[in-house]
This record gives sequence, C-alpha cells and structure tokens, in this order.
Amino acid sequence: MDFSISPQHEIFRRTVAEFVEKEVTPRVSEMEERREIPREFYARMGELGFFGLRYPEEYGGAGADSMMFAIFLEEMARGYISLAAAAMMQCLMGTNFIYRFGTEAQRSRLLVPALRGEKIGTIAMTEPGAGSDLGAITTRAVREGDSYIIDGTKSWITSATRADFFTVAAKTNPDPKAGFKGIDMFLVEKGTPGLSVGKKIAKAGAVASETSELTFNEVRVPAENLFGGKEGFGFAALREMLNEIRVMTGALGLGLARAARDESITYAQQRMAFGKKIGDFQAIQHKVADMEIEIELSRLAVQYGAWLIDQKQPCNKEAAIAKLFATEAGVHAADEATRIFGAYGMAMEMTPQRLFRDGRFLLYGGGTSEILRNIIAKEIGI
Amino acid sequence: MNVVVLIKRVPDTETRIQIKDGKVVTDGISWIISPYDEYAVEEALRLIEKYTGKVTLLCLGPVDAKETIRKGLALGADDAIHLNDPAFEGGDASTTAVVLAAALKKMQYDLVLAGKQAVDEDNAQVAIRVAELLDLPHVNSVIKLDLSDDKKSARCLREVDGDRDIAESSLPAIITAQQGLNEPRYPSLKGIMGAKKKPITDWKASDLGLDPGTIGASGAKLEVVRVDPPPARPPGKLIPGDAATAAKELVRLLHEEAKVV
Ligand SMILES: Cc1cc2nc3c(=O)[nH]c(=O)nc-3n(C[C@H](O)[C@H](O)[C@H](O)COP(=O)(O)OP(=O)(O)OC[C@H]3O[C@@H](n4cnc5c(N)ncnc54)[C@H](O)[C@@H]3O)c2cc1C
Repeated sequence: MDFSISPQHEIFRRTVAEFVEKEVTPRVSEMEERREIPREFYARMGELGFFGLRYPEEYGGAGADSMMFAIFLEEMARGYISLAAAAMMQCLMGTNFIYRFGTEAQRSRLLVPALRGEKIGTIAMTEPGAGSDLGAITTRAVREGDSYIIDGTKSWITSATRADFFTVAAKTNPDPKAGFKGIDMFLVEKGTPGLSVGKKIAKAGAVASETSELTFNEVRVPAENLFGGKEGFGFAALREMLNEIRVMTGALGLGLARAARDESITYAQQRMAFGKKIGDFQAIQHKVADMEIEIELSRLAVQYGAWLIDQKQPCNKEAAIAKLFATEAGVHAADEATRIFGAYGMAMEMTPQRLFRDGRFLLYGGGTSEILRNIIAKEIGI
Repeated sequence: MNVVVLIKRVPDTETRIQIKDGKVVTDGISWIISPYDEYAVEEALRLIEKYTGKVTLLCLGPVDAKETIRKGLALGADDAIHLNDPAFEGGDASTTAVVLAAALKKMQYDLVLAGKQAVDEDNAQVAIRVAELLDLPHVNSVIKLDLSDDKKSARCLREVDGDRDIAESSLPAIITAQQGLNEPRYPSLKGIMGAKKKPITDWKASDLGLDPGTIGASGAKLEVVRVDPPPARPPGKLIPGDAATAAKELVRLLHEEAKVV
C-alpha cells in the first residue's frame, strides 16, 4: 500500500495550477461573457503538452498515466469547468477512437494536429430522443459499396461548431433487440456534404464550452471510417472508454469541490456577522469540514480508479463510484459555498454562482448518478 | 557551451510562514526554486537553445532538495549536482559560497548564472562571494544578457537608480538574474516525465576536499539567535470630512505627526 505521489506528478500539478492561475483565471469573466473559449487556448494547451497527455510520443504525446490525467483535469476544473470540459473532450473522447482504431493516415492528418491544438475533435452520441439509453439512438449508418451513408440528428455535442472531426455513434444494426450492441462508431470530418451544425444550445452552466445540435443528411463517408473495420465492434470499444470518462469526470468534480472550499474559507474568514467572523460559527465550520471530507474521499476514489485503469484491471464499479461521489461532492460543495456567501452567493460578480451552475454539467455525461447507481447495484449482484 | 546555474530551494512564496520557538516551522511547507534562480535557469536554457551546449544545475540543500532539482531538470536542464551532506547544513552565505566555489572548481563551465538573491533569507551575496573565491568577474542584477559572437564575453544590462547601466565582462563570469531578464517557461509534460531519467550526482564535503570545520554550522560566521514575525502593522488612519477639510488635516498630520512634509 502506498499513497505517495511521485515528484513528477507533483511538478505537473504545480505546472497546471500555475497555468490556470496566470493564464486562465484572469480571462474567466471574458469567457463567461462571450460564451466561448478563445481559439488560442487550444494552441497554448497543445504547446504545453496537455492534450497529448495520454498518447504515445510518436503522435506528439507524452505517454503519461491516468493519474497524471486526473491531476490535469482536477487542476483545470479548480480554475474553470468550461475550459476543463473542452480540454477533456480533446484529450479523451474526441481523439480516443482515432488513436485506437484510426488508420495511420487518419492519425497523422487529424490526431497529431489535434494534440497540438490545431484541430479539434469531438464525440457525437447523444440524440434528442436518447441520452442515457444510448441503445435507443436512431442515427443510422448503411453500407453502400465502399461507403457508409449516415442519417440522423445529434444533440448536446461539445465544440461541434468548431470541430474538425467527429466520432459519431450510429446504428449499423437497427433491430431494436440489438439495442446498444447495434451501435458502431464512425469518423466524420467537417465539410463532409450533408453534415450540418445546428444552433448552439443555451445552457445554465459550463457556458463557454459550447454544445450544439448536429444533423446528418445522407452523409457519405468511406468504409474505412468505420472504427474497428467491422460492424458490431463499436459498442464494445465505447464501453472500454467509459470507465476512463467516469474517473476523469470525477477528477473534474474534485477540482470544483476544491474551488468551492477555497472560496468558502476565504470568505468565511472575512465576512462579519453578529460581531464575529462567520467562520467562527460552528455551523459554517461544519459546512467547510463536510466539504473537506468529501474532497478527501473523492480524491481517494478518483486516484484508485485511475490506478485500476493503469493496472488494466476491471473497474466498472470503482469508476462509477468515483464519478458519482466526486461529482456529487463538487455539486454539494458549490451549493454550500453559495449559502456561506449569503446573498453574494448569487451575485454574478462573485465566483460561487458560477461553481453552482458549472457543477450541473458534471451530472450528465458519463452516466447520471441514477444510472451509475444502477451500475453499482448490478456490479454487486443486485 | 556549458552553463552552470546555482539554484536554491526556498519555501513557496505563497506559504504562510509559521514561527515557533524562534524558528521557522518547515513541516508542511511546499518548496520551489527561488524565483530569481528560475530566471537564471530560463536564461541558461535560452542560451543553450541558441548556442547549443549543456545546462548543469548546482544546488546545495538537504536530501529532499532533490525534488526541487527535478523541477529544474523538468524545465530542460541536462543534469545536476546536488551538494548533499549534513555537514553543509546550518551554514550562512559565506559557508554556502565556500562549498559552491569548491564544487565549481571541479566543473567545466563558460558561464555561471544565479538569481540575484534567494527569496528566503534575501542575503544577496552568495553569488558575489563565489565569484570572489574563484576570482571570476561578476555582474549583478542583470535584466538583459547578450553574448558576443565568439562567446568570449557578455554584455549585461542593469537597472541602476532609475537609469540603465551596461556592463561588459569577459567569460567565464558569474552573472545574476534580476526580474525582467525573461519570462520563465512552464516545464512541459515531456520534460517532467523525462526529468526522472536525468542524472543528479551527489557530492559530499569529502568529494570536494573540504574540511568540515570550515563549512556548515561549524564554519558559519552568522548565528541566528531567533526569528520573529514582523510586528503587525498598525491599522491605517481614516480622515473623515469632505475633501477640502480632509486634505488640510492630511497635510497637518504628514507635517506634524509623520514629519515627512
Ligand atoms: C454540457 C454538456 C455537454 C455534453 N456534451 C456531449 C457530447 O459532446 N457528446 C454527446 O454525445 N453527449 C454530450 N452530452 C450529453 C450527455 O452525455 C447526456 O446528457 C447524458 O448521456 C444523459 O442523457 P440525457 O440528458 O438525455 O438524460 P436522460 O437519459 O433523458 O435522463 C433523464 C433522467 O432520467 C434518469 N434515467 C434515465 N434512465 C434511467 C434508468 N434506467 N434508471 C433511473 N433513472 C434513469 C436520468 O438519470 C435522468 O435523471 C452533453 C451534455 C451536457 C449537459
């Protein structure tokens, strides 16, 4: 048993924290206002090697472990969830299929520039009629000679307006009985005829990480764009990535919880009421103590999940627990922070309201808390 | 060219320093490379990127200063020497300089860079002492550094009393960095991962042929009797009233109480 963190991980944590403090925090209000992430952030984060964290050096990556990835996301989320969310998409869901199953040509054309922040990738699974129940998607991919024709509508697609390539979930087997297993994943590039990006979805939190609808109207892609090369393969490949998505979304929750705790402590030590600092009231101290408890336990859950992933051990249950516990911890801490701040908890010029709004983002992707409880229950045989 | 950079491990400038029994409590402090030394490291890396060569870090510090040294290697330095011996501990600026100079005598270099001072004790004299001991030219608090084409001399810009001063020095020399010299980079992830494979060599007093009586606590000329936190600042004074009366009162106070006008 060893809970120590290596110097490399520590140095990296500080590097990310410094990047956030110097380059992200000063621009948060601008991004909140513009509701978008300035394009230069991609180039900068690519330059710092963040996007290539998990990928091998031959593609410009750093070959780091999951623990490093979790540290990156935690520190980013501590600063700004919108940017952390966009970065996670670029590091993981948006590029993972092309790395694992893309052709060498696709990798050098799309993956390598994506890791440098020059191209943007995203994943398109969710539809207006199917989110948690992915098996219910209706987007179809039909083989026609050397191509596939894709038809359907996607919603809530992160960075869709600026993405250069999409990893798209579509049914190759429409039999309702096949459900989830009828899904395959396809590479679709920007500019392919029939692909159109709809309007942005206005949302309450993570506002600078844009999400939009996406429609596929007889979009023709070469058959080699079917990831894995054969039909019936996609769902299993998707499943493999899910645990990593969950643990890493947990890391975002952990970062958010830390931000809420730090804001709360600073404020509680300044704000006076009834002749005392509010931090001298036990009721306030207990709120902060609860945040700390949930932060520490989230950290353990996230690190354990990351470690299991690196050990290539099964971790459906542990990853579900990490995501559920740490994201709920983030949401809870943000909620409590808005209470500790009193009316200022709602003030748009203060941070807690943003943490409160941004926390909601963590609750859906990678499985809602309800779905995760289903998984945990199933894993322990009930 | 070979550039040696002197780096010191200091408490993170964000740390809330705690003092107990007249001593600084070091438990729980997070450590960093002294910020002025970071400018020196950055400058060394830029020189090497321009002229090719090698950057070696030289650090005197306790066993766990290795982590701070790794940070410097992560930034891009090639290797490091860790002056790591309990005999070095408890010293002052003079004994530190003796040890650093002894180490430099064993090394090959075209240039030695350092921070103008370390932000923990703010002595601002170690590099100067090292230069004296080695009989090397020394330029302090430099904000711009250019080498001649033949790399035999350096042109250093410094800020002096609101004006600018240009010093030229032959090389090798010891040059210290002032804020403004450059903007230090972040270590890249690849640099961080690669740092663990870069060599850090430990040298002890015996490796340097130093008599333990002349270094560390036994050689120190400075004795720290006790450390006290600075006294709390008295609260500011608010002058009430409209601008015209307040201004009058302010002038009176500056004249009669503060005696500055
Ligand atoms: C900011 C943001 C960015 C996103 N980015 C992307 C993206 O880039 N690509 C993408 O594909 N998707 C994206 N999504 C969509 C996200 O993956 C879905 O929101 C998620 O899968 C949940 O689906 P849903 O919203 O349709 O909820 P639904 O599935 O409709 O769920 C509604 C409610 O019913 C509950 N529920 C559903 N099934 C069960 C059950 N079996 N048992 C108990 N309760 C159940 C849920 O827990 C929830 O409370 C994004 C979402 C957000 C908010």
